[in-house]
Amino acid sequence: MNNHEKVEVLLVEDNPNDVELTLRALKKNNLVNDIHVVTDGAQALEYVFCAGAYSGRDIKVPPRVILLDLKLPKVDGKEVLRRIKSDERTKAIPVVVLTSSQEERDVIASYQLGVNSYIVKPVDFEKFVNMIAELGLYWVVINKQPVA
Amino acid sequence: LVSKMDAAEVLTEVRYRAVTIFVIVFVLILCVAGVISYLYQTRRLEDRKRVEEEIRKLNRELEARVRLRTAELSVAVRDLEAFGYSVSHDLKAPLRAMTGFANILAEDYAPKLDDNGRRVIGVINDNARRMGQLIDDLLKLSHLGKQAMSISSIDVTALVRSVCYELREELFRDRSIEVSLKALSPAQADPMLARQIFTNLISNAMKFTACKEKAVVEIGSYDKGRERVYYVKDNGAGFDMKYEDKLFGVFQRLHTQEEFGGTGIGLAIVRSAVLRHGGRVWAEAEAGQGATFYFTLPKGG
Repeated sequence: MNNHEKVEVLLVEDNPNDVELTLRALKKNNLVNDIHVVTDGAQALEYVFCAGAYSGRDIKVPPRVILLDLKLPKVDGKEVLRRIKSDERTKAIPVVVLTSSQEERDVIASYQLGVNSYIVKPVDFEKFVNMIAELGLYWVVINKQPVA
Repeated sequence: LVSKMDAAEVLTEVRYRAVTIFVIVFVLILCVAGVISYLYQTRRLEDRKRVEEEIRKLNRELEARVRLRTAELSVAVRDLEAFGYSVSHDLKAPLRAMTGFANILAEDYAPKLDDNGRRVIGVINDNARRMGQLIDDLLKLSHLGKQAMSISSIDVTALVRSVCYELREELFRDRSIEVSLKALSPAQADPMLARQIFTNLISNAMKFTACKEKAVVEIGSYDKGRERVYYVKDNGAGFDMKYEDKLFGVFQRLHTQEEFGGTGIGLAIVRSAVLRHGGRVWAEAEAGQGATFYFTLPKGG
């Protein structure tokens, strides 16, 4: 993967099944071409802050949107969110929490940390696909972002 | 010497002595009475102090026991919360994988599948969906138990009107149901729980009247002795009274999925909510004729 290429979507998800389903749903709707997947919180931070394995990346070329699961190994999703939203260089990146948890405390905590959107993954696959399609359409196409 | 004093003087002397003796005795009696009274008071004070000390000791023991029980309960509640959180998150992910991958099979391998193959995939999907519904319902029930109640006076008429409107708009838009609202007395209850109770009962009444041409649902209340009874009556499918003890069980149903949808959690939630108010819930019905569900709530207003 070319570290200098602009990535549309950074998908942070540890469950390989959910990764496969999400990728399939995004690609199905021809919404995005450049999706990068990381499977734990530490990798996500390395990617966003251009460190470790991703030190070749340019921090001034962020992904258009980050899809973030909350329950992640190594560094927890909420911590990743906190780090992204509390750094001047990265806090403008839209972060969409995509999780199975609909516990009120997770929703509140995420919004207090500055999440842009909180989505609960539906169990029903068709609903999941439609939702991912809508998400992709909204954040990548419809929503206006500052030019990097 | 006696001759020196005359009779009058002797009398005066005697009187004087008598009065002196009388006064001395009187004072002595007073003193004795005072001493006795003092001793008695002291004794009573000691008794009272002993009783008060006893009460304080019992209170301390009671508080210690309450603290212990509260600690036990806190642990149980925390465990339950962890369980609920786990259920919602960890159980749903595999379910999503099941429906997702069954779909991938259906889509990518469509030409290689015959009708039965497609049917089998449908069964997998339906069951995964159903399990998702069951999980959501169990979570609803556990959530209900966790929240603390905040009791206030409730205008039941307004509440029921609001619930009926909502149900009609969201679930029963394409049905024509006659709802008859009788007098509804106010209740002292938790507003959210009360709303949940009426929503579940009225939604059931509306659902189980789908088989009748003219669906009629009646909601009212009456006072019986010290109880305030609310009822929701329908002319729908009803049930056989011999199954009445299964009515309020978790996931217990008296009909098949084909006849009427649902997971069987609605009445379990109603029962839980009513019991939390110290009330009771029961039902009367006849198969094919309809059912009436009764419950009691503390009197309000």
